[in-house]
Amino acid sequence: MKQFAASPVYKFFLFPIGQIIMFALGSSVGLSLITVLLAYVFKFNVTNFDLVERSLLILPQVVINGLTIGFVYSTIALGYTMVYGVLEFINFAHSEIFMVGGIVGVQLIAYFEHLGILATLNQYLVIALAIILAIIISGSLAVTVERVAYKPLRGAPKLVPLISAIGMSFFLQDAVRLILSLTTGEFNVILPQFGTFDEFLLVALPGMADPLRIQIKSVIIVGIAVLMLVVLNFLVNGTKVGKAIRAVAQDRPSASLMGINVSQIISITFLVGGALGGAAGVLFALKATKLDPFVGFFPGLKAFTSAVLGGIGNLTGALLGGLVLGLLESFAASYLSIFTNGAFGAEYKDIFAFAILIVVLIFRPSGLLGETVGQKA
Amino acid sequence: MKTLFSDLYKKLNTGFWPILIVFAFLVVGSISVYLSPRSLSAFLILITTPLILYFMKINMKIKIFIGLLLIIVILPVLGIRNIFYLEVIFQMAVFAALALGLNIVVGMAGLLDLGYVAFYAVGAYAWAIFGSKQMSLLHSIPGAAPANAPFFLDPRWFWLFIFLGVGLAAFTGILLGLPVLRVKGDYLAIVTLGFGEVVRVLALNLDKPINLTNGPQGITPIQRPPLPPEAVMQVFRNLLTPLVGHPPTDAEFYNVFFYFLALVIIAIAILVATRLEDSRIGRAWTAIREDETAAIAMGIPLVKMKLAAFAAGASFAGAVGALYAANRTFVSPETFSFLQSIGVLTMVILGGLGSIPGVIFGAAAVVLLNIQVLQNFSLYLSELRQSDAVIPIINFAWKNLSNQLDPAKYQKLVFGIILVLMMIFRPSGLIPAERRKRELVEDKE
Amino acid sequence: MSLLQTTNVVKRFGGLIAVNKMTFSLDEGRIVSIIGPNGAGKTTFFNSLTGIYKPEEGQIQFKNHSLIGLRPDQVAATGIARTFQNIRLFGSMTVIENIMVGMHIRLKQNPIDILFRTRHFNAEELEAEQRASEWMEYVGLKNVGNELARNLPYGGQRRIEIARALAANPTLLLLDEPTAGMNPNESEDAIKLFRRIRDDKGITILMIEHDMRVVMGISEYISVMDYGEKIAEGTPQEIRSNQRVIEAYLGRGAAVAHEQKH
Repeated sequence: MKQFAASPVYKFFLFPIGQIIMFALGSSVGLSLITVLLAYVFKFNVTNFDLVERSLLILPQVVINGLTIGFVYSTIALGYTMVYGVLEFINFAHSEIFMVGGIVGVQLIAYFEHLGILATLNQYLVIALAIILAIIISGSLAVTVERVAYKPLRGAPKLVPLISAIGMSFFLQDAVRLILSLTTGEFNVILPQFGTFDEFLLVALPGMADPLRIQIKSVIIVGIAVLMLVVLNFLVNGTKVGKAIRAVAQDRPSASLMGINVSQIISITFLVGGALGGAAGVLFALKATKLDPFVGFFPGLKAFTSAVLGGIGNLTGALLGGLVLGLLESFAASYLSIFTNGAFGAEYKDIFAFAILIVVLIFRPSGLLGETVGQKA
Repeated sequence: MKTLFSDLYKKLNTGFWPILIVFAFLVVGSISVYLSPRSLSAFLILITTPLILYFMKINMKIKIFIGLLLIIVILPVLGIRNIFYLEVIFQMAVFAALALGLNIVVGMAGLLDLGYVAFYAVGAYAWAIFGSKQMSLLHSIPGAAPANAPFFLDPRWFWLFIFLGVGLAAFTGILLGLPVLRVKGDYLAIVTLGFGEVVRVLALNLDKPINLTNGPQGITPIQRPPLPPEAVMQVFRNLLTPLVGHPPTDAEFYNVFFYFLALVIIAIAILVATRLEDSRIGRAWTAIREDETAAIAMGIPLVKMKLAAFAAGASFAGAVGALYAANRTFVSPETFSFLQSIGVLTMVILGGLGSIPGVIFGAAAVVLLNIQVLQNFSLYLSELRQSDAVIPIINFAWKNLSNQLDPAKYQKLVFGIILVLMMIFRPSGLIPAERRKRELVEDKE
Repeated sequence: MSLLQTTNVVKRFGGLIAVNKMTFSLDEGRIVSIIGPNGAGKTTFFNSLTGIYKPEEGQIQFKNHSLIGLRPDQVAATGIARTFQNIRLFGSMTVIENIMVGMHIRLKQNPIDILFRTRHFNAEELEAEQRASEWMEYVGLKNVGNELARNLPYGGQRRIEIARALAANPTLLLLDEPTAGMNPNESEDAIKLFRRIRDDKGITILMIEHDMRVVMGISEYISVMDYGEKIAEGTPQEIRSNQRVIEAYLGRGAAVAHEQKH
């Protein structure tokens, strides 16, 4: 058994996948139970239909939506958490790295359509190409941003690089808008329809009259996100570069004394984080279908919230935080309006994340999986 | 190059030169704006006069006299001739007051607040809700308001609401601060950002279950405080008619009126900020900014002092909010976006964190850039677009330039570039903060 | 009656016990040193006293009041002032302002005084400024009141940090390696200053120090820590010949060699 636990297949494949499944199932079941309980509590409030029955009816769909967006958040959150782990710095511009990834991906697909080959290409190949391009562009953009706007500020008071990052975020939003405007005459990009992504898989559930309808793109988003999480886990825990990243995160001066090129490792961290962000951008584009240069703001903030929720600097925490936040948001968007009889609704889902962020920071600033670290005097 | 400039600066800043230069700017600026009210360069000359005045070594009394002459006589008179400039100056004053408030939080106490406009919104919505018909429309759907609904309060209540705005905003600051000021510095930035968004989303959506904010359409009309009694107005009218060239209308008077109101607010803001800075509280804030651990070991209660900074900063925004609502007679959630918070932050960073003259300069410069330079650039581009002009070497016809390319809409680009460049090259700002030099007993030896 | 009394203070970081059952007492008006090898838990003990760390177990009594559960600023208000191992001045404030920050708890001005510049405010500020100047001269600095603290040389910064602590009118002054980085002459001056502080002002001094010349030259009593525990205490004479202390500092072999020499 011990031997099995040490085998790479277990360590880098079975274990992380098991963990992902466990987190996804655990948080889905937990939140569902809470919702059903709340449905009983609020039952008196609603008289014209049975609240519990209605709640249960939409529950599977809510869970699927939540998991889909949750995996996207997790993938973005990893970028925040990796950079924070290494530099103790909130990379505010990460939401724009994500946005650029999404727009690049969509533009590539639109270009295929323009060439007239979109319908003839294999749909999965198209997605793969879009993701690869997004990874390349976003990854190199992240590294460039680090070189230009953060590296000269290393060692400055903490607020200085943070403000620079905010500036970079704003700059990138409008720079992308400018480029799109000059090249295409407008700055909204729309994902062309192709393939069978919008169709539904029908899964018959025992004990339910209607089969569960799962959109194919949800499955693809989750699948690709899981794949990337597994690859990242291998990169960080199974390679020499990963070891160096962890060393720099723990103790930069010592790592530097051990002969690790810290600057290079920081660049690699941005590269990996940016690449994940870019890929997440494409996944997000699949779901949202319409993007603009300002689309990164909310997902970025929510992903940051996920990272804090899970315990910033902790990769597993980012995964869990993203899933929990995605689900919470999906539940809030669907049930808030039902439970309050329409007084409050899905329009509050964007600020829901902040409420969670504040609550976490007050009661457990180290996050769900983080450890409390004693401050140095 | 650098020494060339500083030599020149030194040479021009001795003897009679300073006063000569200031007068040259004042006279040339005033006359050129008076003669050609539409010229941007004329306005620029006039508006840089206070900056020149600030840097030149002139007897303090003369300085104050020239400053007051400019602010109280020249600007309003010229402002009536071209009301747009008065509007620009009004905006400068509004943002300078906001920047002074944010400067207390970010510059003095070192707490990065990215949701500062939330407090501005609190002040604005307070007067907007009570100073309009909104209180009578609580149960009607937005857009379907009965036309004959009465105003809820007499417009004179506005004066009270300026103070109420101060109190409400400070209270909101404390309410937000209590839970979040314990979190680490960089988290605080995100939490305040979130708070700013929460306030905006609330303003956007609190048109149900009861219609408090009228949703995305915003609230209008909001009442303005009444002008002084007719007898007083007549005096001003007689005084101004020969200077302006026509008898000023009530609308013009309102602009001057709000201009002076903004001046009063900014004067109070400067007074409060300087007095706080140079006191036990201000020193505690700076100590916290420099080193929290050392500060708390000296007996400074961190949370209490940070709350004080939050409340003080917020209160400025509250007052300005009420003023803004009355001036525009309209508020809507989009005025209080994240972009605005960053805009005010940009002003503070550009001028100099913790530097009171710096942030005022920063506010003036950013406002000017935003509503004058970029706007003019946009106009210029659209003129080019309608012409047959071609960019020579690359042979690009201006006609083909995308309509989307409207510099006035690229504020984020401008703010972003300013923030990054300032952080890299001049993090202490264009007019950095200076500590007050004390006349100490020991120095008199 | 002792001024400061700690009983069985324990501070843990995860699995590491940084301070273990520290029982320690300090009489008023004395100069006492805590010594011990690096990592012995001396600074952690200081931080537990001043409220920066919350000890897991034990009692801390100062002037017969418990300090347990107080925040650092509340501890400071009871009359404990401190300096830091790595100087922690407010670099962008002037020297005088730094010292005036030390007076924070003693100043009575309220927001109304500040905003309206009342007579009380002006009088208090003027007095504070004068006292700050006096403290500056007391620690041996002249004509640097308007300098930014970060522009002072190292030795000057050490002195300003002490002046800042003294400005709080403490009963107990905690000095964390006050002569670190000083040359012998400077250390000699520092010793004189510490004596003066105790003799003129009656302030009790507790310090962490590595420089044995300073420790032996000034301390009336010494406590030795190793691995978070107090392993010895006594007069400088007693400590000099204490077997466990020599072991802790030099290792067992050296201690045996030391023994044989005698």
